[in-house]
Amino acid sequence: MTTTLTPPTPGASKPAPGRSPTSRRGTAARGRRGDGRFVAICLLPALALFALFMIWPTVSVFRMSLYTWSGFSAQMRFVGLDNFSKLIDDEQFLRAFQNTVALLVVVTVVTMGMGLFLAAVMTRQKLRGHTFYRFVLYIPNVLSVVVIAAIFSAVYDQENGLLNGTLRALSLDGLQQVWLGDQKLVLYSVAIAMLWQSLGYYMVIYMSSMASIPEELYEASALDGAAATRQFFAVTLPLIWQNLRTTLTFFILSAVNLSFVLVRAMTGGGPDGASEVLLSYMYKQAYTNSAYGYGMAIGVVIFAFSFLVSLLVSRATRREPLQF
Amino acid sequence: MLRKPIVLAVAAATAISLLAGCSGGDDSADGKKTLKVAAFEGGYGRDMYLQVVEAYRAKHPDVDVQLQLSKTLEDEISPNMKAGKFPDVVVLPQGRKAALAETLVKDKALEDLTGVLDMTVPGEQSTVRSKLADGIVGNLNTNPYNDDKTYLMPMYYAPTGLVYNKALFAQKGWQVPTTWDDMFKLGDAAKAEGIALFTYPTAGYLDSFFFALLADVGGEQFYKDAMTYSEGVWKTPQARQVLDITAKLLTYASKTTVGYANEQDFTKNQQSLLDNKTLFMPNGTWVVGEMKDAPRATGFEWAMAPLPAVSAGGKRYLTTIVESVWVPSGAQNKDAAKDFVAYLYSDEAAGIFAKANAIQPIKGKAATLAAEIAPFYQLYEDPTITALVGGFASTAPVEGVNIKGTLFDTANSIISGDKTVDQWQTALNDASEKLRQAGK
Repeated sequence: MTTTLTPPTPGASKPAPGRSPTSRRGTAARGRRGDGRFVAICLLPALALFALFMIWPTVSVFRMSLYTWSGFSAQMRFVGLDNFSKLIDDEQFLRAFQNTVALLVVVTVVTMGMGLFLAAVMTRQKLRGHTFYRFVLYIPNVLSVVVIAAIFSAVYDQENGLLNGTLRALSLDGLQQVWLGDQKLVLYSVAIAMLWQSLGYYMVIYMSSMASIPEELYEASALDGAAATRQFFAVTLPLIWQNLRTTLTFFILSAVNLSFVLVRAMTGGGPDGASEVLLSYMYKQAYTNSAYGYGMAIGVVIFAFSFLVSLLVSRATRREPLQF
Repeated sequence: MLRKPIVLAVAAATAISLLAGCSGGDDSADGKKTLKVAAFEGGYGRDMYLQVVEAYRAKHPDVDVQLQLSKTLEDEISPNMKAGKFPDVVVLPQGRKAALAETLVKDKALEDLTGVLDMTVPGEQSTVRSKLADGIVGNLNTNPYNDDKTYLMPMYYAPTGLVYNKALFAQKGWQVPTTWDDMFKLGDAAKAEGIALFTYPTAGYLDSFFFALLADVGGEQFYKDAMTYSEGVWKTPQARQVLDITAKLLTYASKTTVGYANEQDFTKNQQSLLDNKTLFMPNGTWVVGEMKDAPRATGFEWAMAPLPAVSAGGKRYLTTIVESVWVPSGAQNKDAAKDFVAYLYSDEAAGIFAKANAIQPIKGKAATLAAEIAPFYQLYEDPTITALVGGFASTAPVEGVNIKGTLFDTANSIISGDKTVDQWQTALNDASEKLRQAGK
């Protein structure tokens, strides 16, 4: 732990005109060196905690995925990649994986599309009361997931729910569904709840970046005869591209994480595993089924999957940043 | 130059605030033995534990009993257990989601409590074994490895069966069916009046149903074979009959069942009974307390029946849920823990528990029950009904295999038509076979 090798930065060590420049420079350097040491010592606990609570557990997940362990005892058995080869034959795991990917695609496409559309309408069209709409759309984002689950339990209730009740009132009885009980529908019911929760957040992000686009660009394009749609694709979209790329990564992370909490609170993975997602399956294996090592192997797959998808999306969407 | 002091101050503040979080640590170094008791705060409430611990403290001033009560006990004690700090005594029902007791059983991380059975109850003359009801120890519930060693002491017991509204049956002039043929006839009659025969809160509640049905159909040995993953047990005609009866019963299930069979909505399935929309559901004595504030049909009266017999006059089993008390192998004060466990069976402790409707399997206890739950326990007095305890035997964990999920949750798919009985049977056979391999 030494900082003596750090040379004083050139700009700061400019010899000052004075009686004894060397001695002053020496004091300053020594002082800076002392400061560096002090800062380092002060940051050490934080770094140690970061290593202990972030880096070490992450490494542990990878290590534990190679063992068979129940989670409590001292009996850990090294099994190499056995846990991973078992995953390939595990139908429930594959189903959970499919569900996660489906949620990822559906929720990303729809949230992004709607978020962009709403943001464009609100910033460009100067809607009356647009702050109110923004407020209303943002509210779900500050609600806890348990509250959202309770709200959607009331919306989806097959007898007195908002959705089926409205359909009945419109004499569309044939369209009524058991939203959380139908194995073909349940995943989309979860997806709608996710969409409702996150739409406002992304809309606000897009709005803020759209607001920073200079008005002249729109005026110029209008003079060239571009309609609102053309403006959106030719001006707005290219100029907020960097922002879009960032939110894509958020989408991937939230599809993995948010789906877990919502599924836990709303369906418990049911009926009969139809809405199981990767994290909920990992939780069940690691804690309920006492197969901790196997659960950690699922964790590794989730880690690798999110990492890879983020990387691919980031690569695929790379463009030369446009300046305005 | 103003920046430097600020940077230094922020750095110092960061360090101090982080270090402040590390202070603490408790020591009770006054020579007393510390006994850490962790208990699940369930439907029976927390007062009974406070009173029992108070009574124990009065008798044992040299023991410092630290009581930890929680509705999410597993979440609170497991992190410490993973770090090697174990409570000395744990009272926790089995079959909970976190499956802590089950995990420790699989891990062989529980203390052998066979010795406690022969201990004299503190302050009394008789041994624990002589006070316990017959047949309550020595089954898979208490001796999970299917040998003569007891690892989980039975704490409270409660019958589970088909819960119904007695008043509705009286009003309609229906008899509670005693055979499956009568059951399905009743189902047709009820359907004509717009009442469904059957529902379940969540598929997990079918545990007591299946255990009893397996024993009803194939007898106790068959039940034990199924629970211990005997080879090919799910391919037998008896197993097929169990699945066929269940599949037929599920065709009578109320149409809201699957949509409400989740953590969020399961009480709505229970509510359908209170509203006289459904006749039966598998449940236990706790449902009375759980639904006590719910609106209900006039004159509603809780009652419980065992499953109908397969043929007239056939033997009927009543699945009995037994909550357990156990001592982790990692406990510090095992002797004090065992003494405390023995005390839990004293007349003094049993009296406190019984006041909260927590009934221990102690001889003669059933005579002193409160009026609202007495009818449930009276089922045991019927000579044609036999108590059935146990559950699936523990094996080493098998990755991706959960036979309870396969047996119970598939009911949701049978109702919705997403799976057939054949697929169900095959999946059960596969799961059972994998667990049998692991149990060897």
